[in-house]
Amino acid sequence: MASTIVTFQLGEREVEVMVKPMTTLQAVLRYQLGQTAVKEGCRQGGCGSCTVLVDGEPMMSCLLPIEEVAGRHVDTLQTALPADAADPLQQAFIAEGAFQCGYCTPGMLLVARALLDRDPHPTRDAIIDALAGNVCRCTGYTPIVAAVEAAARARGDRDERGR
Amino acid sequence: MSPARHVVGRSVARSDALGHVTGRTVFTTDRAFPGLLHLKVVRSPVHHARIRGVDLSEAERVPGFVRALTHADVPHNVYTILGLIGVEPEEEFVLAVDRVRYKGEPIVAIVAESEQAALDAVARVKLDLLELPAVFDVEEALKPGAPIVTHWGNNTFMYEGHPCRRVRFGDVEAAFAQADHIVEGRYDTKPIEHAPTETTAAIAVPEANGRFTVYTNTQALYFSLDNTSIILQVPGNQLHFVGGTVGGGFGGKVDVIVEPLATLAAMKTNRPVKYAFSRQEEMQVSSTRSAWRIYMKDGVMADGRLIARKVTSYADSGAYSRQTPYALTKHAANAAGPYAIPNVSIDAYCVFTNRQPTSAMRGFGITMASFALEVQMDKIAEVVGLDPWAVRFINAYHNGDMKPHRKLVEDATLIETMQAAARLVGHELPDAFRTMTSDPRPDRGA
Amino acid sequence: MSVREYLMPRSVPEAVGLLERHGPELLVMAGGTVAMPLINEGISLPERVMSLRHAGMDRVERRGDVLAIGAAATLSRLLAQDAVPLLSEAARHTASWSIRNMGTVGGNLFTPPPGGDVAVALLALDARVRLAGPRGERDLPLADFFTGFMTTVLASDELLVEITVPTAARETAFIKYGRKHANTPAVVTVAMALERRGGRVGVARLALGAAGPHPIRATNAEAALTGAILDATTIGRAAQAAAAECQPFTDGIATEWYRRRMVGVFVRRALESL
Repeated sequence: MASTIVTFQLGEREVEVMVKPMTTLQAVLRYQLGQTAVKEGCRQGGCGSCTVLVDGEPMMSCLLPIEEVAGRHVDTLQTALPADAADPLQQAFIAEGAFQCGYCTPGMLLVARALLDRDPHPTRDAIIDALAGNVCRCTGYTPIVAAVEAAARARGDRDERGR
Repeated sequence: MSPARHVVGRSVARSDALGHVTGRTVFTTDRAFPGLLHLKVVRSPVHHARIRGVDLSEAERVPGFVRALTHADVPHNVYTILGLIGVEPEEEFVLAVDRVRYKGEPIVAIVAESEQAALDAVARVKLDLLELPAVFDVEEALKPGAPIVTHWGNNTFMYEGHPCRRVRFGDVEAAFAQADHIVEGRYDTKPIEHAPTETTAAIAVPEANGRFTVYTNTQALYFSLDNTSIILQVPGNQLHFVGGTVGGGFGGKVDVIVEPLATLAAMKTNRPVKYAFSRQEEMQVSSTRSAWRIYMKDGVMADGRLIARKVTSYADSGAYSRQTPYALTKHAANAAGPYAIPNVSIDAYCVFTNRQPTSAMRGFGITMASFALEVQMDKIAEVVGLDPWAVRFINAYHNGDMKPHRKLVEDATLIETMQAAARLVGHELPDAFRTMTSDPRPDRGA
Repeated sequence: MSVREYLMPRSVPEAVGLLERHGPELLVMAGGTVAMPLINEGISLPERVMSLRHAGMDRVERRGDVLAIGAAATLSRLLAQDAVPLLSEAARHTASWSIRNMGTVGGNLFTPPPGGDVAVALLALDARVRLAGPRGERDLPLADFFTGFMTTVLASDELLVEITVPTAARETAFIKYGRKHANTPAVVTVAMALERRGGRVGVARLALGAAGPHPIRATNAEAALTGAILDATTIGRAAQAAAAECQPFTDGIATEWYRRRMVGVFVRRALESL
């Protein structure tokens, strides 16, 4: 069957890929565009390890046919947060021990990022609700929630200083 | 010493922290190889059956099909994971020969150009199976007339000629006769799936020098290398195993399941081969913690002293051994608990059923023993009218005590741990318990 | 075999035309949260798939005295509207943020058992559904839409295109009881909408999820409430009636016995919350 060309924005750059119909965004990102931060835990939309941001909204890339992002903007952990881990969220995850095996971490960071961009001072309940679609089998979630709270405080401090 | 080595007392960032928070940590299936082939497995759809035939003709016609592997392709098709530490007999097949013993048991491996083609070909393999009666309960499996799962004629692992691990210490029956109270309980646990967020996977790559590099998320790199070497009958120095980055294991990635087939396929095709479990395979086929059934009978004096404990345990190993026989040994050594009990009898059975093979998971063999015996301690407290702390302090073992399996207690800390716990929760202990130590009893000596 | 064609019609007539042309082998997909897992796992192997995301069915807007919800409107969009608070509440308790950004309100009517929770709220609000096919459109109450276990009145050449609910204010309550705090299938779901006049219940709607082959109205419980004052006696009677009349099932999440008891508990709690 014929392949199609799909064009979309990945981080800062425009990308063009040739794909078989309904190849998932997850497969395209991982196997054609080197975005292996997008993980492959279940392909059922159940674990959240494949989370990406599409036009800033968290989505499960394993459930998205690539055709659905034509002309849209996609962010992965690799395009959304800096490679030197300087972002307060990344620093907070390290400081709070918010990962053990690291497999859920990209998804957690992206959802946390999307949350803080909308609600800079989320309550603990709001953080827990936002992360409800991301499974962690290692940490018991407590350090992850603590890291998001710490990042919110750090971002608040940074914004204060910037004034 | 250079300042860089002064890490004691300091908080040091994990070496993989940067990779994890930037998404650059390389997990097994993040690796790309030109010409990568995909391996998927045809699995038994039933719990117990004789294999009368396997028809690959339709599968072979799927576009992208490369080849199939059957038991005939596997140089040494039988392995026991614990064979490397002398546990016998060998009894699990890499690919089934004439019988399947659990739903999901691998029968044929299909190698194809794409994952889709492999799945398609797997769906088109025709199996001719004669279903056999199956057994799913440990005690049912031990009744006369039960379907036999193993190839040696009974449904238990044999420990030096005995059908169970046995501990005999003192005389429990005499002690029961003397006891003021008998406290009994039956404790059942269920299989628990580790469910790591990353599924089990390996990629085997042929190198130009004739060796194979195998990227794997096993928790047991040397077990995996050595077992693969034995199964494929190649010297260990022909294999280069690369691992250490595991997206969650918890004991679920110790069974050497994907590496042998992936490597065999790479050998046969001379191309890199990826064998990764789907989420469904991870949840329904990969090993779980064993389900356990534990019967405990305790003889207790009116003052709360435990004078006898009789334990009969059954672990459900599923269709094959994996690590479970070892779990029973650990279980037998610990089922009496951290308590000084002068009369102990333990019979711990590793039972085979037609369920998923079970294997290691955090604290395996012990966790369920702790559950059972600690509930027993609470029951004992109720029966004799003491509080649960008291019953434990009274019976706690001390350094120098002899454990039922004939090992002297060293470094006992139950007493100190309970004292710390009491302080943490603000529970006021009576002086006798607050000042107790694990020091050897004066009347027993060291 | 992989998918040969992924169709993305730009209007309802175009979508209906494609469905008519390709027949029941065409897999119709909205948010993909139910269909894609089956495709990814190789359980479903369609040759042709049609996406409803771009067919103009995704808006949520007031229209006179109703809220008009496009069947392909995402659950996030439903969550964001403030015209009907009960629907916002139901959407909030459905799935997770990412899934709500993809899954649709229409798709929630076809969620496999124990079933969609937004559908339960829609049922309590006297929702109507609009279906479109080659013979034209038809409109019917949601209460008549479900016919049995995983079956509806939707013909094989029809599409669900819109759901409407009255925006008239009512006293409402929504409780979803699951084994986890969020992102979990229901043990039971309770949605209710009442109108009171002079302290007495005028109109009572009580819908239950995971308590039958599809979302159901607990009509005996509604009768027990109608015309009554909402005191402890009435509440107890209604809760008992709901527990007796529902037809729950046993699955991996809960037993029939437990679900029936929980219907009684959560109907009572929902009524007490009003």
